[in-house]
Amino acid sequence: MIRNYIKIAWRNLQKNRIFTSFNIVGLTLAFGAALLLTIYAIFELSFDHFHENGDQIYMVYSEDSTPNGTEANISKSEPFAGTLQKEIAGVEKITRRNSANLLLSYEDKELRMSGAFVDPDFFDIFSFPIIKGDTQNPITLESSIAITEFTANRIFGDKNPIGQTVTILRDGKQVPFTISALIEDFPDNSSIGFDIVLNFKSQGQHAYNRTVGRWDVENHEVYMKLAKGITPEQFENSTKSFTKLHYKDAIESAKRDGIQPNVNGEFIQIKLLSFLDKKFTNFNKGTAKVNRKMPYIVLGIALLILLIACINFVNMSVAKSDQRLREIGMRKTLGANKRQLFFQFWGESTLVFIISIILGVLTTILLLPHFKVLFKTKATFAILLDPLSILFLIVIIIGITLIAGGYPAILMSRLNTIQSLKGKLNSNGKNYLRNGLIVAQFGIATILICGTLVVWEQVQFLRTKDLGYNKEQVIAFPLNGKRNDQQALQLLRNALKDQTNILNVSASNNILGLGKDGSKSTSVLGFDHKGIGVETHMLVVDSDYIKTLDLQLLEGRSFRKNLASDSLSVIINESMARQLNEDEILNSQLNIDDKSFSVVGIIKDFNFQDLDRNIAPMSLFALPNWNLRNVYVKVAPQNLEASYDIVKNAWADIEPNADFQASFLNENVDRTLKKERDMISMISSGSLLAIILSCIGLFAMTLLIVAKRKKEIGIRKIVGASITTITLLLTKDFLKLVSIAFLIATPIAWWMMNKWLQNYIYRIDLNILLFLGAGGIVLLIALLTISFQTVKTATANPVKSLKTE
Amino acid sequence: MILQLTNASRTVNSGSKKIALLDSINLNVNEGEFISLMGPSGSGKSTLLNCIGMLDNFTDGSYIFLDEAVHTMKEKQRSKLYKEYIGFVFQAYHLIDELTVYENIETPLLYKNVKSSERKALVADILDRFNIVGKKDLFPSQLSGGQQQLVGIARALITRPKLILADEPTGNLNSKQSTEIMELFSELNKEGVTIIQATHSENNASYGSKIINLLDGQIVSE
Repeated sequence: MIRNYIKIAWRNLQKNRIFTSFNIVGLTLAFGAALLLTIYAIFELSFDHFHENGDQIYMVYSEDSTPNGTEANISKSEPFAGTLQKEIAGVEKITRRNSANLLLSYEDKELRMSGAFVDPDFFDIFSFPIIKGDTQNPITLESSIAITEFTANRIFGDKNPIGQTVTILRDGKQVPFTISALIEDFPDNSSIGFDIVLNFKSQGQHAYNRTVGRWDVENHEVYMKLAKGITPEQFENSTKSFTKLHYKDAIESAKRDGIQPNVNGEFIQIKLLSFLDKKFTNFNKGTAKVNRKMPYIVLGIALLILLIACINFVNMSVAKSDQRLREIGMRKTLGANKRQLFFQFWGESTLVFIISIILGVLTTILLLPHFKVLFKTKATFAILLDPLSILFLIVIIIGITLIAGGYPAILMSRLNTIQSLKGKLNSNGKNYLRNGLIVAQFGIATILICGTLVVWEQVQFLRTKDLGYNKEQVIAFPLNGKRNDQQALQLLRNALKDQTNILNVSASNNILGLGKDGSKSTSVLGFDHKGIGVETHMLVVDSDYIKTLDLQLLEGRSFRKNLASDSLSVIINESMARQLNEDEILNSQLNIDDKSFSVVGIIKDFNFQDLDRNIAPMSLFALPNWNLRNVYVKVAPQNLEASYDIVKNAWADIEPNADFQASFLNENVDRTLKKERDMISMISSGSLLAIILSCIGLFAMTLLIVAKRKKEIGIRKIVGASITTITLLLTKDFLKLVSIAFLIATPIAWWMMNKWLQNYIYRIDLNILLFLGAGGIVLLIALLTISFQTVKTATANPVKSLKTE
Repeated sequence: MILQLTNASRTVNSGSKKIALLDSINLNVNEGEFISLMGPSGSGKSTLLNCIGMLDNFTDGSYIFLDEAVHTMKEKQRSKLYKEYIGFVFQAYHLIDELTVYENIETPLLYKNVKSSERKALVADILDRFNIVGKKDLFPSQLSGGQQQLVGIARALITRPKLILADEPTGNLNSKQSTEIMELFSELNKEGVTIIQATHSENNASYGSKIINLLDGQIVSE
C-alpha cells in the first residue's frame, strides 16, 4: 500500500512538474533561510550556557543615584569584592575582572594578547577547564599565568608550554611570568574572551597599585557565585548596611547635593545581574535592561518565511485538487475510505516536504560560510545538533507538514464521491481562506520591507549625522608598540612632518567610536565644585587634539603646543559648562585631587559616546607623560587611501612588530552600529525572500486560476471584450488582495517601527512616503508577476481556448 | 434476492423547489439477473445506479441489500458493504491516469487489505482471462477506448463482486468494441454475476434478461 502511495505520489509530482518545482524551490529556500536564521538565533541565545554553574553566576553592579538620574555602574573598587564576601552571607565565590591588551614576548616573538586579570576564584566560578598544569591554583602566584590551547599554539607551537617563561610589558618594563596551566579552548558562544589569564594583582601601577584600599576608584567588573538557597533579591536587600558603611562619603555628598534617591530611599543599591543575561544587557539607559528581542525577532522572521512558503503550498495544493477529482472519486468508488485518501494526499505533501527539507539542509550547509561572514557570527551547524534543538526542529517540521500538507488532504478526502467523479465541485464561489492567506503573505512581506527601509534610513541617519567632530578625514589607531607613548608619538610626528597630505597628528587616552582593535573605555571623574558634587568624563589629550578633530571652540583657547605649560588647564564641553553653572566660566577654578585646574576653553558638545546616549559632561586635560593609547591623524580630503598608506608605512618604521589597527573615525562609528547593521541584513534578506516566495505563490495561483477561467475568457473575447479589459479583469482581483494587505500591514509596521525608534535619542521622523514606497514596491512586483500570465491569456486566440473544452 | 427497493426516492433541493430525481421506485433484483435500465437523458438511470451502488443515498423509502437495510446504515458500514459486493463500470472508464493497467486493477485489492502474494495471483489471473497480459505495464492513455473499458471491467471484477453496476459502459465505444464488451458481460452473467446496466441502446439492452424503462424518475415499465 505504502509503495503504491509513493509510486503515485512520485508520478503525480512528475506530471505537475511546474508546480512541484515551484513548491520545492519555494520550500527549499524557506527551509534553508529559516535554518540559517535559527542557527544564528540559537547561537545568540546559547551564549554563556556552557558554564556549569551558569544559573548561580551573577555580575555585581550598582544602581547609583546621580544628578542625571539613576545610572547602572558596573565598575567596582579594589576592596569591594573582598569586603563583600567577608561581610555579606551568600557569596560562595567572588572574582574581580579587568581586561587589557598586553604585549607578550617569548624568544624573538612579540605577540599582542588579550589578557584577563582575575582572582583565583575565577576558575571555580566559570567553567574554563584546565587540561594541563596546575589545576588547583593556576594563578594564585602573581608570577603565574594560564593560557588557552590556542594561545599556547601561537606562542610555542608543539612545545609543552607548562613551566615556560614569557615576558609581558608592564609600566614600560619587561616582567617575567611562568606558564602554570593550559586552559581548554572555550566555545565561540562565550561572552568572556581572553588569550591569557593573570592574577588580578599583576596589573600595572595605574590599574592596581594606586587603587589598593580605595573605594573611590572604580575600574573593574565583579562576578560572584551565589550560594544555593538565596535569591538575588534577598542578597541585594542584605547589602544595605554594607553600602551605607562603605559608601558613606558618596551618599552624604549625594544628600547634600539634593540628589533624588531611589524608591526605597537608597542612593546606591547593589544589584545582581544573572550572568546568562549579561550578553543581552544594556547598561546605557540608567538601569540595566535585559533585552533578548533580537534573536527572537530573527526566529520570528524565520517562522514568517516558513509561513509564507507553506501558504504557497496550501494554496497550490487546494487549487490543484480539482485536477484530481476523478481520481478521488474513483478511489472512493473502489473502496477507499477517508482515512486512506487522507494518508495518500498527506503522504504526497510529506514527500515534497522531505525533499525540500533535505535540499534546505544542503543549502544551509552550503551557504553557512557566506552567512557567517555576512552576519559576522561564529555560529556553526553543530549548534542545531543538541537534543533540545533537534526536538524543537522536529516538532516544527512535523507541525508544518501536518498543517500545510494535512489541510489540503482533509479537503480532498472529504469530497463527495459522485461530484468528484463528474469532475465538478460545488465551489461556494468565494475563496476566503485562499484570499486570506494571500493577504497574510503580502502583509508580512510589506511589514518586512517597511522594516528594512526604516532601519536602513535610521542607520544612514546615524552614520551621516554630524557628531561634532571630523570623522571623514581622521585616521585613528592604538599605540600598541613597545615604545612609550610620547616617544612613539614624537617619532610619528617627525616622520609625517613633510607629507603635504597629512594635516595634523594628535593623541588621546580614549578612542572615538569603536576602534579596529575592539577597544573602548571611558574614565569618569567626580569632584566637588563649590560644595556640589560634579561628574565629568575625562579625556587626556595631546596638543592639537581640538584642531585634529575639528572640534569647535566656542570660547577661550585650545591647549598650547608646549603641553607642560597647560598641565593645570582644562577645556570643557557645553554640557560640563552647564553643570558647573558659573557666570564667568572661563578661568574658573576646578579643585580636583588637591590640585586647582583652570578652565581655559569651552568646546561645543560632540558625541564621544554611543549614539544611544545623550552627550555627557566632558573635560579635556593636558597631563604630561600620561598614557595616551590612541593616535589621531588628520589627512587632506583628497586621496584618503594614499594618506592611509603613508601613515601605515610611517608606523611600520617606528614599531615594526606592532599591528597597524587603524581606521577612519567614520568606520569606528559604523562599528558601534553593528547591531543595527546586522538587523538590516537580517530583515532585508528576510523581506527579499518573503517577497520572492509570495510572488512564486502569486504566479502559481494566477497560472491555475487563469487556466480555470480559460473558457470564460474565450467567451468574453468572442462577445467583444478587449485585451485590456480581460487583463484588467484577471489582474484586479489579485491587486485588490495586495492592496488590502498593504492597508493592514502599514499601520502595524508603523507602530512597530515607531516603537523601535524610541530606543534612539537621535532618530528619524517616520515619513508616510516611506511606507507608501514600500507598498508601491510590493504592488509593482505583484503586478509584474500577475501580468506575465494574464497578458498571455488575454492575447491568446479565443477559439483555441474554447476548443479544448 | 440480492436487493430490494421499496418506495425508494431521491429528491434534491434546487433553490426553494424540491425536485424528485427518483420517485417511489419499487424494484426487486434476484441473484443472476442481468437488468438493463433504459430511458432518455435525465430520466434517473445514473442516479438509480449510484444509489444502488451506495455512492449516493435514497432520501426516502427502504433499500435492502443482501438482507441488510442500507437506508439505516452509517456511511462507514455502507462503504464496507459495497467494497465487498459491488463493482462499478463507467462510461468514461475512470481509470487512474497515473497508474499502469496492472496497478489500476490491483487498487481495489489494496483497499481491501489483500495480501501481496494473493493480489499478484488475482491480478495475474484476470489479466490472463482478459488477454491483456501484454498491456499490464502501459498507462491508460496508451490504450484504445475498448481496451480501457476492458481494464475498467477487470478492475470491477477483481474483488469478485456479486453485483456489477455499469453506467453506459459502451457509450464512448464504437460498435465493434461495444459488441465485445457486451458479450463479455453476458458471459460474466452466465457465470453468476448479477449485472445492472444503464444504456441508451436497444441492442445493448437486449443482452439483458430484463429491461426497465425509466422516465422522470419513475419506473414506467418492467
